[in-house]
Amino acid sequence: MYQSMQSLGFAAESNFKGPVKLSAAPKGASALVLGAGLAGMVAAYELRQAGYRVQVLEYNARAGGRNWTLRGGDRYTELGGFTQECRFDPGLYINPGPWRLPYHHRGMLSYCQRLGVALEPFLQVNYNAYVHSSRAFGGKPQRLRTVKADYHGHIAELLAKSVQGHQLDAEVTAEDQEKLLASLRFWGALDKNLKYVRGDASNDRRGFARDPGGGLKGRPTLSEPVGLHDLLQSGLWSALPIGELYDMQTALFQPVGGMGKIGEAFARELGPLIRYNAKVIEIQQDARGVSATFEDTAAHGRQTVQADWCVCTIPLSILSQIPMKVGQAMSEAIAAVPYAASVKVGLQFKRRFWEQDEQIYGGITYTDLPISTIGYPSTGLFGGGKGVLLGGYIWGLDGAQFTAMPPEERVRTAVENGTHIHPQYVQEFENGVAVAWHRAPFALGCFGLWTESTRAQHYDNLCQFDGRIVLAGEHASYLPAWQEGAVTSALDAIDRLHRRALAAAPATGSRGTT
Amino acid sequence: MTTTRNRGAIAALLLLICAAGASPARADRAGTADAGDLATADGQYIYSHICQGCHMAQGQGAEGAGHYPALAGNPALVSWQYMALTIINGRRNMPAFSAKHAVGFFFAPVVLGDAQIAAVINYVRTHFGNDFKDAATADGVHALDR
Repeated sequence: MYQSMQSLGFAAESNFKGPVKLSAAPKGASALVLGAGLAGMVAAYELRQAGYRVQVLEYNARAGGRNWTLRGGDRYTELGGFTQECRFDPGLYINPGPWRLPYHHRGMLSYCQRLGVALEPFLQVNYNAYVHSSRAFGGKPQRLRTVKADYHGHIAELLAKSVQGHQLDAEVTAEDQEKLLASLRFWGALDKNLKYVRGDASNDRRGFARDPGGGLKGRPTLSEPVGLHDLLQSGLWSALPIGELYDMQTALFQPVGGMGKIGEAFARELGPLIRYNAKVIEIQQDARGVSATFEDTAAHGRQTVQADWCVCTIPLSILSQIPMKVGQAMSEAIAAVPYAASVKVGLQFKRRFWEQDEQIYGGITYTDLPISTIGYPSTGLFGGGKGVLLGGYIWGLDGAQFTAMPPEERVRTAVENGTHIHPQYVQEFENGVAVAWHRAPFALGCFGLWTESTRAQHYDNLCQFDGRIVLAGEHASYLPAWQEGAVTSALDAIDRLHRRALAAAPATGSRGTT
Repeated sequence: MTTTRNRGAIAALLLLICAAGASPARADRAGTADAGDLATADGQYIYSHICQGCHMAQGQGAEGAGHYPALAGNPALVSWQYMALTIINGRRNMPAFSAKHAVGFFFAPVVLGDAQIAAVINYVRTHFGNDFKDAATADGVHALDR
């Protein structure tokens, strides 16, 4: 199954309209933010800017939530008590959560710029990376370049044949047919007879058996296209459009040094506003304000904090278990969303063999094996030292099964899978880490899995204010799993919060207590 | 709207590829079951390959910012029907597993048949210190799947 070949491939346009500028907060107004992931920290940052007294409660000992990077020396204990030590070399890392920023996720890019987080290109499409089916071509991985060229070439030839055979006369005028044939010839790399064959045209797309060079030995050898039957039966065509999905189109970006740089920058900015190791166990509200009770998981005390307003960004997987004073509509919405399983595996190798042996510089290989994805680093190219691959990005049934394994078995299985694509794994593998999102103590799942019907029934109820509480996070967006969903939901929530606060404040500007 | 359309197309694609793919676990999958294996799996296999991801190997559950309920010594297990409804429909962040209710996305949903749901219920209710005498049946599960 090409489960994650589709990646997060659904058009997801951000509604970010430029940096938010709230007017001054009512005098003395306060806001409590639950969760120091990106949604919570965006809310805290902007509300503080407007003059609200802000405090943030965070379960983890670090900020960022699912915005997170694992580096050498990091320790991570998942549910069940399994602890992993990340043993990557200095400078190498894996992003267990989000790893790419599409150019149109303007909210994310805007905060990176404002917080001084340096960005670099994320290489999504690499024509020299592989598409792989264990059931096709003897299990030998195929270069994306050749599969794409051959598939387009054969389709173009078939369509040209239909035009020339007058099978499209009813649909396409004679004048248009002329243009169509010209375009098919160019698009599909057909020869002058409108055939997709071994020749200069096809080899300019799929590459040569031996590349052209200079001098006496420079004569190229042409490569032979794969037949349409083999291509169709291979299923590899299902990987072709991934880089053309709106979310995957060039350009994409990543923070220099790991996605976690963004959460770390927010945490620096917010400083003492964030209270770490705070496990929220109850959320109350009345006409005058909101209160949250939390356990200090480091000091083992219990405390209650109060504010006029609350932006709650706790994932629904957790929030649905916390006693919370909201109406039935929001309460049912919170309980209506299951969470997707996903696992990411980071593998360190002694050398960057994918670059040195196979000329793969960044990009992604897609496979029907459980790992589904091998992601090559977009950074540190041509480095002489070690390298870390994303050795698996695993979803669905495979994701559930990898979650059920102890971490070291996930790593071992990912290495076994990957060996079918890169035999060098056997010699070069050193160590790895594997994060299963359902086992993440602070998330209990990867992202909220809405359906059309649950959205119709519950989404607005989830996002609407309930008294003095509003929710934000990727689960309160139409961009599931994307950080941009968290950012834009937070901006939408605080805009409404601010208007309420202004409306509730007496004309004198003192704290409103309606 | 675009989201819906793309998801439809992707779901159709997955069906196509999955239909071709239901065969016994192959060596290159390194012991990972595919949908075909799951359709004939017994209760222990299903528990150890899926359920224990959250409920843990000894049914002890887990606790972080939220928790996964223990299945060992859990009084709710007295009702296999309660368990069946939970597995069929999901509960809060736990996904639904019956074909009628399971949710996929760009990935195929994880689906358990009536017999597999009954098998895993019976496994859990007779392990981890549980010793319930009555048993779920595939027909009984089927009747609850609405």
